[in-house]
Amino acid sequence: MAENNQKLSTRHLLGIKDLSENDIQLIFETADTFKDVLNRPIKKVPSLRDITIANIFFENSTRTRLSFELAQKRLSADTVNFAASSSSVSKGETLIDTVNNILAMKVDMVVMRHPYPGAGVFLSKKVNAQIVNAGDGAHEHPTQALLDAFSIREKYGDVSGKKVAIIGDILHSRVALSNILCLQKLGAEVMVCGPTTLIPKYIKSLGVRVEFDLLKALNWCDVANMLRIQLERQDIKYFPSLREYSMLYGLNKQILDSLDKEITVMHPGPINRGVEITSDVADSKQSIILDQVENGVAIRMAVLYLLAGQRD
Amino acid sequence: MKPILIRSVTILHPASKFNNKLADVLIKDGKIAGLSDKIIAKDDVVVIDGKGKYLSPGFLDLNANFGEPGFETKEDLISGAAAAIAGGFTGVAIQPSTNPVIHSKSEVSYIVNRTKDFITDVYPVGSISHNREGKDLAELYDMRLSGAIAFSDGTRPVTDSGLMSRALLYAKGFDGLVFSFPEDSSIAGKGKMNEGTVSTYLGMKGIPALAEEVHISRDLYLAEYNDCPIHFSTISSAGSVDLIRKAKKKGLKVSCDVAAHHLTLTDEALTEFDSNYKVKPPLRASSDVLALLKGIKDGTIDAIVSQHTPHEIEFKEVEFEIASFGIIGLQTVLPLLVKAGLPPENIVEKLAIKPREILNLPVPSFEEGEDANLVLFDLDSEWIFDNTTNRSKASNSPFFNQSLKGKVFLACNKAQVFNNF
Repeated sequence: MAENNQKLSTRHLLGIKDLSENDIQLIFETADTFKDVLNRPIKKVPSLRDITIANIFFENSTRTRLSFELAQKRLSADTVNFAASSSSVSKGETLIDTVNNILAMKVDMVVMRHPYPGAGVFLSKKVNAQIVNAGDGAHEHPTQALLDAFSIREKYGDVSGKKVAIIGDILHSRVALSNILCLQKLGAEVMVCGPTTLIPKYIKSLGVRVEFDLLKALNWCDVANMLRIQLERQDIKYFPSLREYSMLYGLNKQILDSLDKEITVMHPGPINRGVEITSDVADSKQSIILDQVENGVAIRMAVLYLLAGQRD
Repeated sequence: MKPILIRSVTILHPASKFNNKLADVLIKDGKIAGLSDKIIAKDDVVVIDGKGKYLSPGFLDLNANFGEPGFETKEDLISGAAAAIAGGFTGVAIQPSTNPVIHSKSEVSYIVNRTKDFITDVYPVGSISHNREGKDLAELYDMRLSGAIAFSDGTRPVTDSGLMSRALLYAKGFDGLVFSFPEDSSIAGKGKMNEGTVSTYLGMKGIPALAEEVHISRDLYLAEYNDCPIHFSTISSAGSVDLIRKAKKKGLKVSCDVAAHHLTLTDEALTEFDSNYKVKPPLRASSDVLALLKGIKDGTIDAIVSQHTPHEIEFKEVEFEIASFGIIGLQTVLPLLVKAGLPPENIVEKLAIKPREILNLPVPSFEEGEDANLVLFDLDSEWIFDNTTNRSKASNSPFFNQSLKGKVFLACNKAQVFNNF
């Protein structure tokens, strides 16, 4: 196990906002150890025995939930899953009541995905449990950003000084916001690229470059993180059709080969093949998409392990 | 009621010869029985030391929401009026955000009859459209005859330009005044806060100032074309101040107000997702606050309002996204203006004089023999806004449990006295 007495500076993981650079490095070092564990014949460690974790998902998710659940099982934690639709005041149970009901059954930690930004922050002030944010609206998705940065570190040895372009729907993306904050804390340069209607007007205030031309963005970057287009998250149409989106921002092998350097392609999944990236790009050697998935389990193990050490 | 003698108080009343001077004031049987340099106290008189305090006509709020009828668990007429008088308001215009909506003679009459004996004058604002649906005009004239002081659809903007145009024109026929709540809904979309650097950092969809300014531009055109007066409720952006300043210069009959919280708070307050900062229009950037303060100083902004919007805790202690818009404000207007650094004569102008001019109501006189409609306040006394001082049924205020500076000591109207010593 990670031989350190270091601790995170936070009791919850609500967002990258709350993490210092030291916190992130500590998570990475811990994840290194767990990644070794995951590649052993016996993939399980007893670190979180006697700890019960509830995975509460108010929004559909398969891979994030699976990744968290596997991380919990590898750490020997007891887990329960709860899928619910988010409710408003007028109908059904409130968020606080839902979570308090689960906590009354002696749960130590809550991993929550929620459609509304700030839901985790709100909950952390109202209930007595540690909260891990597994995505809250278009706000943050901290474990995704950590695993993305971890994968870049794995590929290049260091994140600092790397140029990362985040491409796609920036307006509705929690992955984008968490990635921007995380990569900047680690010293990377970040650019966002996408349709003009999907780039927030004030995005430059976050200290990122903005580019509307895909080819220019690709020529600039070392790593291209191609975001999933989530039409279900758009309340109105921001671009006419998926076809037109992929004409402008879809990454295919032809474009990739036309660049004068070999960039790394990432995608948080699930991929809409033929929309954000074509199959030959997704399956190319420049793609580290499956490494991201593998690293996701190690990162989530590290986060849960470190947070468990913060229990009062 | 025993006669009250207020000694050496600073009079703030632009029409009084004692304006900005110290005087003694005697209130007896609901009238101003004496106002002069020195009044001799008789035995039965309650003497109040007015040093360091100001006496002005009672404040009048152009924009408060009481829940009666329909939402009495948020606020009823009695609790709302109690909060009003505790805030120094001897008059309050209430929005038609009720159920049923105040959209016909019967609802207007109900409010008028229920409140006629209250110390605070309660003026119902009738809705512009039937059921506030933004489709057909409500019976504006009939409501006017029954006591509706003005017309507004509350925080539901009138999106139909033709309807707004007809409302302005129709109300003009009998000197009715239409309030516009400016927000272009198709631009505001599903935004829950101001669009800016903070919303970007929080991953929240923003309501751009553009939504407000586009709507104000439209309504200014409509008012100019129809040669009608128009009043804009709760403007919040620098661009809006500019638009109205220009319109006034051009000679349009336009007035506007701002909510007190927009003068002291910015969207920076939202970083912890506290729904007690969720208001509509949303809290803007600090540059907007500066522009609003400038607009108050140069007269572009005529009045300051509470935009008192009570909600039960169940509507606020939820995720920010689904929490209701609005905060209570009647008791915190004065402290917020103190915090914003407004000089006392400015406070009186924006809370007591201009709101009445906008509504065509007489400003209560301070001449001897006139009815006493007045408020005694200061800018220095500290008090805590909490369960013991709050008169509203609701407590959805970001200032709850905080110490505030600027206190209302006494208010008098309709031969009744609110005493807060």
